[in-house]
Amino acid sequence: MAKNKDFTTVSQDGTVLYHMAPKKTMKLSLTQRKALSGWLLVLPFVIGLILLYGPLIFNSIKAVFYTVDVVPGEVRYYFAGFENIRWAFMEDLYFKTSLINGFKDLLIQVPAIIIFSLFMAIILNQKMVGRAAFRAIFFLPVILSIGIIDTIDTNAALSMDVITGAINDGTDAMMEGGGNNFISMMDLNVLLQNVQVGASFLRVASDLVTNIFDVVSRSGVQMLIFLSGLQSISPAIYESCQIDGASAWETFWKVTLPMISPMILVNSIYTLIDAFTSSGNGVIRHIFNNIGSASNPINTTIPVKDPATGETINMLLKENSLSTTEMWIYVVLIAILVVIVSLLMKAFVFYQKRD
Amino acid sequence: MDAPKIKKESKNKIRVDFERAPLWERLKGKYFSMRFVKNVLYKIFRLILLLGVSFVILYPYISKIADSFKSFPDFQDITVVYISRNPTIEQYKYIITENQYFRAMLNTFLLSASTALIQTLICALVGYGLAKFKFKGRNIIFAIVIVTMMLPQDILRLPMQNMFWRFDDQHLIGKLLDALGVTTSTIPGKMGIQLGSMNIFGLIPHFALSLTGFGFRNGLFIFLLRQFFTGVPDELEESAYMDGCTTFRTFFQIIIPLAVPMLITVFIFAFSWQWTDDFYINTFWMESYWTSNLSLPDNAKWFEYSFPLLSSGNFAGGGSAANVLGTIYSQGNTKDTGWDMYANAISGTSTILIALPLIIAFIFLQNKIVQGIERSGIVG
Repeated sequence: MAKNKDFTTVSQDGTVLYHMAPKKTMKLSLTQRKALSGWLLVLPFVIGLILLYGPLIFNSIKAVFYTVDVVPGEVRYYFAGFENIRWAFMEDLYFKTSLINGFKDLLIQVPAIIIFSLFMAIILNQKMVGRAAFRAIFFLPVILSIGIIDTIDTNAALSMDVITGAINDGTDAMMEGGGNNFISMMDLNVLLQNVQVGASFLRVASDLVTNIFDVVSRSGVQMLIFLSGLQSISPAIYESCQIDGASAWETFWKVTLPMISPMILVNSIYTLIDAFTSSGNGVIRHIFNNIGSASNPINTTIPVKDPATGETINMLLKENSLSTTEMWIYVVLIAILVVIVSLLMKAFVFYQKRD
Repeated sequence: MDAPKIKKESKNKIRVDFERAPLWERLKGKYFSMRFVKNVLYKIFRLILLLGVSFVILYPYISKIADSFKSFPDFQDITVVYISRNPTIEQYKYIITENQYFRAMLNTFLLSASTALIQTLICALVGYGLAKFKFKGRNIIFAIVIVTMMLPQDILRLPMQNMFWRFDDQHLIGKLLDALGVTTSTIPGKMGIQLGSMNIFGLIPHFALSLTGFGFRNGLFIFLLRQFFTGVPDELEESAYMDGCTTFRTFFQIIIPLAVPMLITVFIFAFSWQWTDDFYINTFWMESYWTSNLSLPDNAKWFEYSFPLLSSGNFAGGGSAANVLGTIYSQGNTKDTGWDMYANAISGTSTILIALPLIIAFIFLQNKIVQGIERSGIVG
């Protein structure tokens, strides 16, 4: 018996005994191999999702419907149904007010930040002496107005409010950060008393002016995004505008604004999310400092079964699960706001056709 | 107009006499036009605006620097605004000595540099995978990345405390630690890892989160890098594959060198945000966790870290430095007028000391940040 190369076994007299199929190797198609590489690349993220982030989110959502009691050595979950949510809306003395104020402030500050950063980006995009230095200064708050420095500034601003006797209802979202009041409300009142505007408008205006530092310090990333957007507009368009005799004003409205409109959408959403995820935010401050404090006590109890004795006892709702509940309510409301904003703005966004 | 008159002619030079307007007329034409005036006014306006906004941005730092050289009596004296009457560097001195500034800086540097490096690498891998490979579930994973970007970190505070503080035998990582035999703590539960005199257990969650791309704002980094990699032409990788490169070799030899500006930007963000981070430090390094297993710690209660970090409470509240200064000015518990402002000034001085290394690095690197974002392809 001899075996030849093509897997055919032949007997000595030359008759073919049998054919053997060639041995199959595990051979993936190119698409499959690329898919596998893709999975390998995102593997760390997937592992983290399954081992860390997934359980964290799950436990966080679980805390909305449970009362989380931390006792030595273990964490006990007692089912509370919708008690936490009910407490947040019905019994928390400040939650609703702080939400309303927080959203009001968002609605004022987000446009202010967008307009300011667009304006500054246009100016910083022009050639001038010291442009690099100005850009560096404008970008400084992105690195520095965060974390521990922000915490220290907020604490200082709060304690200064106490010292100067200013009324602080703890609900002014985003308004406390730098706490540098260059102009007092009085100055602005004097300035605007002859202008026939309502008191509420005056409050908005004075809030914006006195908290200019917050607007400025939260505009860094937005400014960068606008800057890069401005640089991607072809100079040929401006040149042809100039040749056709358009003024700078017309060029801005007819060319710059439409071309930059996708950036405005990106920036609005970025600003919204940045504002609501920052720890200096009034709603988050309320959630983590105000729940269960002397002025806002927790009185609601739920019947739970004590695992040690097996008896049913009444337990007060726990501060930590209440704060997580209020956070989730806030997240859901912000998500709705983000969807509304992006739908509204999509109508105005102009996308340049690609070749 | 006549033809120009030749005044003097030599082999190489020629001087021609033009009939031109007198100097005065020319200057008038140039500088007295509406256009020139408008231009000058605009430039002045622009300069004032930029200087003004820069002042607004820098004012907190200016006032903090001014306050940092004041002594306590300056705060009781109403006439002192910016310039101290008896300038002193005692605030710096006591923060550096009492709050272990240099040790904290070294620790913070090591922690920030290592986590930033890991985060940059992991986010680059994930971003590259999401940008260039088609596989089932890609869109879902990308959607999850976006969601992680949008959830505030505070929402995870409670589950993180429960997960990372109680690595006892019931938890996966606790079991793993147990199996590896790294439980050297005398505290109930498996919660301590000694390194010399330091308890470095709090490092584990930092690295666990960084290694899996769930550190602070890592969703943003993945998004930025994905956008960048999407802009890299496919032909580059295809030619690498043709030459027999594997996916990972292509990534490290072709893609990474291309992405250096973007990676530097991400690294700077990751580094500086870890440098100033207090949320994770707050969550992972609280004392009551180590000493008593009784209840969730009181946020106001900070401890002498066995592993001092810049963003620890010691710096936020002035810490031991404030106590020492309080003893010097015999403040004790009685708080005179001006003491709160002085305490704020001490915190402010801490801020300067925390921010100083970052600012120095930033001055050298700010161009890179702008470059990275400009090339990121966010712009489309």
